[in-house]
Amino acid sequence: MDDQPPAIVVTGLRKDYGRLRAVEGVSFRVGHGEIYALLGPNGAGKTTTVEILEGHRKRTSGSVRVLGFDPATGGRRFRERIGIVLQSGGIDAELTVREIVALYASFYARPRDVAETIEQVGLTSKRRARVRTLSGGQLRRLDLALALVGDPDLLFLDEPTTGFDPNARRDAWEMIAGLRRSGTTVLLTSHYLDEVQHLADRVGVMRRGRLVEESTPDALGGRDTAGTVISFRLPAALADEKLPAGPWDEPERHDGEIIMRTDQPTRVLLALTGWAVEHGAELEALNVVHPSLEDAYLRITDETTAGDGSGR
Amino acid sequence: MADNPARRSRLVLPLAAGQVRYQLTLLVRSPLGFFLTLVVPLLMLVSLNVITPGNAASVWGKQHYAQFLTPAISAFCLLNACYVTTITSIVLAREEGILKRLRGTPLPAWTYLAGRSGTAVVTATVSTGIIIATGVVFFHVTIIWREFGYFTGAFGLGIGCFFLLGAAVTVVIPKTDTALPMAFGTMLPLAFVSDVFFSSVHAPHWLHNVASVLPVAPVARAMEAAFNPATRSWPMPTTGLLAVLGWSAAAAAVIAVAFRWEPGPVRWRAS
Repeated sequence: MDDQPPAIVVTGLRKDYGRLRAVEGVSFRVGHGEIYALLGPNGAGKTTTVEILEGHRKRTSGSVRVLGFDPATGGRRFRERIGIVLQSGGIDAELTVREIVALYASFYARPRDVAETIEQVGLTSKRRARVRTLSGGQLRRLDLALALVGDPDLLFLDEPTTGFDPNARRDAWEMIAGLRRSGTTVLLTSHYLDEVQHLADRVGVMRRGRLVEESTPDALGGRDTAGTVISFRLPAALADEKLPAGPWDEPERHDGEIIMRTDQPTRVLLALTGWAVEHGAELEALNVVHPSLEDAYLRITDETTAGDGSGR
Repeated sequence: MADNPARRSRLVLPLAAGQVRYQLTLLVRSPLGFFLTLVVPLLMLVSLNVITPGNAASVWGKQHYAQFLTPAISAFCLLNACYVTTITSIVLAREEGILKRLRGTPLPAWTYLAGRSGTAVVTATVSTGIIIATGVVFFHVTIIWREFGYFTGAFGLGIGCFFLLGAAVTVVIPKTDTALPMAFGTMLPLAFVSDVFFSSVHAPHWLHNVASVLPVAPVARAMEAAFNPATRSWPMPTTGLLAVLGWSAAAAAVIAVAFRWEPGPVRWRAS
């Protein structure tokens, strides 16, 4: 990121569908060259938000600037500078890979080389194949090629690696990371939280139409400092000893295993290991677990109780 | 930041030409589209000629039935190429998300529709050419060259009107499965009352009048009249011309206001 104005500035965004309020009071910024992931359960409003940013949908109120344009009125000059990977479909089945990429390249003033783009998404061996013969993963790669062929400054990636095998996902990640290195801004939505952890510079979490948390993947929900879980078993020699005092809540005990939750894992470990060494004992099965992005995400969205499954 | 001279958009005419090429490629590779556009009219011409003895169905005095049927089936070609194919191809592209994807690119919306209409011109011309050539070679149809300009004029009006009507009708078609039934379900009754398969000189007067204010009859009757040796002047009455232009204008207004680029059910509120 540099001193340029942000690639995306959203302020007080609201979108109503009749009486249903799909998005309310959403504000965030995405810097140039940044990969920003928008997360949320089904019906959280992220698709509506992204489609407003793409220019596919009109907002009810609020301010949106994307690459300096209002997407609702930016027209061709705006669309010259963005690339969109849709969630599914949208490619003529009877054209070949090369024909469809060349067709989309012809829409842009400054397209990338067609053969290079096809090579970049790993479809060179399929360039003469009809689209209908491609596998699901190959279709997603073609999807990516169509978004990239216009050499966009900003790329919208909606579930970009759904249907990819693990190797293809890694290749796609590498490609997206390469786009960041070349200065392309990426707005990503994904249900793969490992993907978000790997790629995103920052994460915004939406729930019930609102942006409820915004952070880096490592710090989302305070996971960088809070909620570390330390577990161990006491050796028989120390079974009757009282644990030392320290910065933790009352530990839980399950089948001889002691579980501590703390926001000061370093101090807790120092106190525990010091105490064990003092007694000449070894803490068995000592385990320090940092809460995953998924843990933080589920806690924030309260998905188990709030998910209603409706699309917004 | 919004001004970026290096990104000056491409000229629209090459984009429209590219769309015509793209649509024609798809049509040629689609067995259903090829069958509907080229094979069905040919089958109609041959079968109607075979089952109708010439002396039993003569029209315009002593003219052979094929002299009437060949331009009539040419009007059917127009309906197939410009109305039916436009409906089925646009609804398919919309429901598969192809139109939504295109709307995310710098391709101007009207360029896409221009490409569709250019494709309709090409396919209508090719299929009509095949029908007339078949009529001339196998059914002794005579092209009356002094009236061929009338035929071309009516043909041009028909292309514009039927294409616009087809594109407008897509607005109310909810999904791909219903596109073909709705296209034929509206086209065939219109064609039957509009002299496309049979001359309606013996039809009830009221039916003739109703057909006259609908868009197909004025075009079909003018194309047929251009093959009648007795015709001496522009064969479309002013009321017929006004009907064709009126329907075209109404369809254009519907397209401008309500054309849908996104899949899903009909929404009357802008999203």
